[in-house]
Amino acid sequence: MESDYPLISEEEKDILQEIMNIAFGKAAAELAEVINIFVVLNVPYVKVLQAEELPEYLLYEVRDFSNISIVEQNFWGKFKGSAFLVFPAGAGKGLITMLDPDHETSFESGSIEVLEKETLMEIGNILIGACVGKITELLGDVVTYSPPKVVVENKPHDILPNKLFDPEYTAIVMKTLFRFDERNVNGFLFLVTTHESVAWIKQALAEFLERYE
Amino acid sequence: MTRKILIVDDSPISRKMLKSCLPKDEEYELHDAGDGLAGLEKFREVSPDVTFLDLTMPVMDGVEALEEMKKHDSQAVIIVSTADIQVKSIEKVTALGAFLVLKKPPTKENVKDALLKAYEFLKESHGI
Repeated sequence: MESDYPLISEEEKDILQEIMNIAFGKAAAELAEVINIFVVLNVPYVKVLQAEELPEYLLYEVRDFSNISIVEQNFWGKFKGSAFLVFPAGAGKGLITMLDPDHETSFESGSIEVLEKETLMEIGNILIGACVGKITELLGDVVTYSPPKVVVENKPHDILPNKLFDPEYTAIVMKTLFRFDERNVNGFLFLVTTHESVAWIKQALAEFLERYE
Repeated sequence: MTRKILIVDDSPISRKMLKSCLPKDEEYELHDAGDGLAGLEKFREVSPDVTFLDLTMPVMDGVEALEEMKKHDSQAVIIVSTADIQVKSIEKVTALGAFLVLKKPPTKENVKDALLKAYEFLKESHGI
């Protein structure tokens, strides 16, 4: 199946990388408006994989973390896929005070685990929503989102998806590494698009670039 | 008058996008570089009238490159062209002497506007 399907060219990868750069910059700025944080950005990376290679790839990318927390959200439109925001274990607890500096909700909301989950969900909502939203805006699409799903502190092997898409299909992975400066917390955002989005992405990238010809 | 423009960005597409946004009714001597260090070397070599500088780059990031460029020429006109639009980032590069910050993606209008401001400054400060 994959061999018959057009992969993306190096130039298309470069455009996607730049679009991811712009989109994550926007997402970081939105997060910084909500909480007092500075997000250190890195150059994003785009890779085309067979979907069956995805679990191994994701596990390799987070190999420095023994336990991780993950926010997963799916999006649907012409641009269709899944977003995974990955933090090392403990990051969520450290971030609670940033969303709730006075701990006002700690007694109402119950355990620290619940608060951690809520914090990660909120940060995930902002980063994923703003990033995917900006990508689709630049490429001329609108997407809808599933509610975010949060899994807190587990072995990467147990919580990263192992059967995301049909294994014969192609997936485009866009990765960005970031750091929350004040908390010295590193994280990853992975956007994985489905096989059926590839043709549309190619067309949308060509139209995006036409504006600059 | 031919203006010397230096574009420093690790993304070839981003450099292409910016070049395409330069007003067509002027003449340029264009230079570019793919990371902060190469950009700094090119900056020292060609003394551009205006430099467009990305921030998130490998080898040497734009903040460090900006600092070094301003050490070399405190009057240099350096327009930071970036996707990092966090208020703290903008404050930081402004404090380091960036002429202005241009949000990515560039548009013909905001590039033209930025260059007009830059030329006005060059005329007042350097008489060119």
